[in-house]
Amino acid sequence: MSDDMTATMIRSNNRFSLRGLVPWLVFAAVLLILPFIFTDGFSFTLMNAIGINIVFALSYNMLLGQGGMLSFGHAVFFGLGSYAAMHAMIAIDDASYAGEGFWAHVPVVVMPLIGMIGGGLVALILGWPFCRRAGTAFAMITLGLGEMIAAAGQMFPSVFGGEAGIYGNRMVGPQWFGLELAQAADVYWFIAFWTFAAVLAMWAFTRTPLGRMSNAVRDNPDRMQFIGYQPRNIRFLVFIASGSFGGLAGGMAAVNYEIITPESLGLIPSGLALLMAAVGGLGVFYGPIVGAVLVTLMNSLLSDYSDASILYVGLIFLAIVMFAPRGLGGGIEHVRTAYREGHLARRLPGWLGGAVAVLLIALGLIIAIELMFAGHGGGDTVNVFGMQFQAGGITGWLAAVAALVIGVLVMRATKKNREVNA
Amino acid sequence: MLKSVRTLVTASLLLAGTAVSAAETVKLALIDPLTGPMAAAGQPAFEHLKLEAERINANGGLNGAKLEIVGLDNKVNPQESLVQLQKAINDGIQLVTQGNGSSVASALITSVEKHNRRNPGEEVLYLNYAAVDPAFTNDRCSYWHFRFDANADMKMNALTNYIASNKDIHKVYLINQDYSFGHAVSKSAQEMLKQKRPDIEIVGNDFHPLAKVKDFTPYVSKIQASGADAVISGNWGQDITLLVKAAAEFGLKAPFYTYYGASSGVVTQLGDKGVDRIYQINEYYGDFEDPEMAKRQVEMYEKTGWDFYYLRLSTMLDMLKAAADKAGSTDPKDLAKALEGLSIETPTGEVTMRAEDHQIQLPMFISVMQDGMKYGAEGTDYNFHKVAEIAREDVTLPTTCRMRRPN
Repeated sequence: MSDDMTATMIRSNNRFSLRGLVPWLVFAAVLLILPFIFTDGFSFTLMNAIGINIVFALSYNMLLGQGGMLSFGHAVFFGLGSYAAMHAMIAIDDASYAGEGFWAHVPVVVMPLIGMIGGGLVALILGWPFCRRAGTAFAMITLGLGEMIAAAGQMFPSVFGGEAGIYGNRMVGPQWFGLELAQAADVYWFIAFWTFAAVLAMWAFTRTPLGRMSNAVRDNPDRMQFIGYQPRNIRFLVFIASGSFGGLAGGMAAVNYEIITPESLGLIPSGLALLMAAVGGLGVFYGPIVGAVLVTLMNSLLSDYSDASILYVGLIFLAIVMFAPRGLGGGIEHVRTAYREGHLARRLPGWLGGAVAVLLIALGLIIAIELMFAGHGGGDTVNVFGMQFQAGGITGWLAAVAALVIGVLVMRATKKNREVNA
Repeated sequence: MLKSVRTLVTASLLLAGTAVSAAETVKLALIDPLTGPMAAAGQPAFEHLKLEAERINANGGLNGAKLEIVGLDNKVNPQESLVQLQKAINDGIQLVTQGNGSSVASALITSVEKHNRRNPGEEVLYLNYAAVDPAFTNDRCSYWHFRFDANADMKMNALTNYIASNKDIHKVYLINQDYSFGHAVSKSAQEMLKQKRPDIEIVGNDFHPLAKVKDFTPYVSKIQASGADAVISGNWGQDITLLVKAAAEFGLKAPFYTYYGASSGVVTQLGDKGVDRIYQINEYYGDFEDPEMAKRQVEMYEKTGWDFYYLRLSTMLDMLKAAADKAGSTDPKDLAKALEGLSIETPTGEVTMRAEDHQIQLPMFISVMQDGMKYGAEGTDYNFHKVAEIAREDVTLPTTCRMRRPN
């Protein structure tokens, strides 16, 4: 009888539901509509970078969010996948020049698959000894691995190209779907397709038994072992899957940038993956997508407006880890749950009060930081969201303190609203 | 936060839209390290360009159009440079300049070449003021690339001519950065010394990682142990400053024959220990006998805190102006055509942009660090005193370039 019950449960879980399809339709629609709203070259450059980072951040979250493995070396898979794709692209270039050979028939649009194979192979070769333990040991080993591969990148110039890296040309080989890949706008369709495919595949992975077991290994590895599943095997399989999708993102990057340098194997891009996943939220599937969009926008736009851009990115990361460990995705889920359960109207005042308080505190901090940077030799006046302040004057500092104080007061005044309802 | 990001996005889109319509200004983007360890190489170039752009604009600009300099930070990373190049192109900028790092220059040349082939009518011109890998004007020469600095081989040609005449030098040590440029310096030093002074022995040939070494003492003790009586180095940025500083502190007696020994920071850090020990091969030197140059040195140091070091940047802008006036246009295609074979007078004599390979032809100078100079560098009394002039004909080298010109 119990067998019967499980069977029905599984069947009801697997039942095809239209509700589950809605987010994917929205996602596809957004990808289709975006290029008609943002039509200039800069937007395409930015959207292409965001697409690559979405796949990169999601593949990282496979390890950290779903498998509980904190990695500091994820860029190794991204970078090596990218190198694999780049070498393949160069091979296509050479082969199509000669007009014969296997590579002459491979289109550039499938380069992400080459990157995926590359990243997966590297994870397969390196992963086994690492996956025995999660936690600190895993973090330390991946840190060492990342630095080792990045250093090796400088030592084998024939493969990695030394400081200059290696570069290829994406306008070679057979064309598919008339996609010439000349402009960033052409490349957008390539990026959009692979982003959608990769996100769908990674979501599907979370629904497989392996994906479910990786959650179990994250939460209680001892118990998994007692039941008869080797945590190490599961971690290893997840590691390979994560490395493959990291490599896929690298393949997309190879086509988009047409250059790859050993620096992309190092600690900084690995840290970027962690940053995007953590800002977006580790516990929600779409969290890293939100994080990737936000962090990419900040990295490329903020430096045009402020000399302190890197500081702001760091502050946001700090604030999220300290005050909202579930990330932006976690916040969105919170609101959604309240809405579904009909609590939203009751809880909204507290949340809105909190949001106003956070905005005011952020405003105060921004004014203070900009004034400090201006005092450092940046300029005479500081412009924060249209407000002008004299660098040497007192008004700016008064405004900063006022915003901070009011922010804290609002925070305290609305605290009760949030607690009572919690 | 999301809200502010959204306003930022819309604001930047508006900006990108308006940038194209300003027709009366021509923008030149400097893609170079403006922050980080190599910023001391990029910042003075940025200030120099801005100051000289003012002079150009006061003299009528580029065929009437105002020249504006835009600084884009690339952190000496080729990949980041391409992102910055794309940013410049999206803002409607069609003139870019870069100098620090042949690795970056290599990425820019291929990228500009690709862009121009894919976007006819929106061509971009790449003006290279210091990336001196000889390949860029030989095997890999590009119609859209113009080099305003002597390449590594030309500098080595001049430098080895000088070393060959010094009969006291018998053992030479080579230390260079481990990338294309450093290897080019080492290779040409070995070949040219062998040809000009077969009796000179190369007692060491070291490569160290670019911009990563913080303490050069182990390298310096190796040089000491080798018994070398001269060191040749193509290092730049912090790699030259830290190298000669370590040598001075170690008490190494051998003189350094360098490409960039007068880089900012060297004079201040070495002081007396550098006198008569640091030689440099460059297109200019620290005497400033020309009163006009002296005036600009004083003015630049007062205004920006940097020395008037990059004469070639002034030459580059002067040639750009001459080309624009000659062509009666600031379109990159017309500029490129006008620049080919163009000659102008500079404070050191006539210079020509060779049409065959887009490599500037100019006289070079060897100078050595001295105390009590009339115009000291970095606010000190030290600067580089001219010891030899190498005429244009003795600097020049043939090219293997087969230029592919657009029809």
